[in-house]
Amino acid sequence: MRERILQLMLVPPEPHPPEGSADSVRIFRAGRNYYRFRLLLWLLGNIAAAAGFAAGHFATRRFLAQSPSWAVWVWAGAELTAVAVFVVAALFTFLEQRWNYELRWYIVTDRSLRIRGGIWSTHELTTTFANIQEIRVSSGPLQKLLGLADVEVHSAGGGSSGPHGSQGGHVARFEGLDNANEIRDYLVDSLRRYRDSGLGEADKEKTGPVVAAEVVLDEVRQLRAALARG
Amino acid sequence: MTPEPIPSAIAAIERPREALMQWYFCKALATTVAFPVTLLLLYFRYHTMRYRFDGEGIHMSWGILVRHEVMLNYSRIQDIHLHSNVFKRWLGLARIEIQTAAGSSGSEMTLEGLEDPEGMRNFLYSRMRGAHDKTSSDPLTGVLTEIATELRAIRTAVEQRRA
Repeated sequence: MRERILQLMLVPPEPHPPEGSADSVRIFRAGRNYYRFRLLLWLLGNIAAAAGFAAGHFATRRFLAQSPSWAVWVWAGAELTAVAVFVVAALFTFLEQRWNYELRWYIVTDRSLRIRGGIWSTHELTTTFANIQEIRVSSGPLQKLLGLADVEVHSAGGGSSGPHGSQGGHVARFEGLDNANEIRDYLVDSLRRYRDSGLGEADKEKTGPVVAAEVVLDEVRQLRAALARG
Repeated sequence: MTPEPIPSAIAAIERPREALMQWYFCKALATTVAFPVTLLLLYFRYHTMRYRFDGEGIHMSWGILVRHEVMLNYSRIQDIHLHSNVFKRWLGLARIEIQTAAGSSGSEMTLEGLEDPEGMRNFLYSRMRGAHDKTSSDPLTGVLTEIATELRAIRTAVEQRRA
């Protein structure tokens, strides 16, 4: 059933790690409690929507008492449709919470990371450590209760959150992690090897050619010394 | 340094796929009352959209009334987003959004209607900064290392002759 629906929706299978450095690939997943967290949010949202429906229903009752009978029927039809849509939507979004938790990958290699998420609308983000500016760990009160945290990796360039909400723009989000600190440490370690990351130029650091040229200079000096000895 | 040649399949890309127009039709339908206007705008966007991929970067242009032209270098790419939803997947489409360090809130370039979006994403990734280990692939470093080896050989030879 699940496979059939996912196939029908053409949800792509597990993402491939970015090319190169196959031995350094580490795949992180959202924590088990992330599913509970999503369910809780889903429940709260649906309770709020149901409360809204009930309030609307009782608020219009008084007006309907004075309305002609056809208006009462039309209104009842509209209400029934709304409730049906609500129930179907709630059912689908309930399933979605589970899949959203399961179909979520955070792939980190020694020089890049790739984040995949989403069912209905999927997004896959790829970036390299050379472009990362900062790493943030955040967790709300509800997340803290469940032992979850989000790790955000920012690249250069500002602007607002963009057309895709928090998922868009220059932010890669590792959502709902139960080992956020481990991942943060791993990312910071990886970043250390890219001290020229972001927009900062590497002019203080010696790059490959300079180091190699110094080796050449050293050799030439030793050669001269060897010739002078003779 | 001369830019690396790019795969011929990517160099040949000029126009988006026809499926993109079908997607634009769906997109226009979703705007209900504004359907005719949106469709017209998207129709012109589709028909004037041109891509050019060369050794250094991407050129993209579209629009009649308001002409847009965007050029960006592969090496300036910060992150690459690959987006698609159910309808787009049914049409075999996906959208690639490219972010540079410029401060706009949206993406700096949106590539739509490409033949093989995932392949294109992999190509762009291979060209962005930090995707390869610089020190080992830098040709100058290679040459200098060879020179050092040669010099060391000369010194050993000289010392042996003296001995």
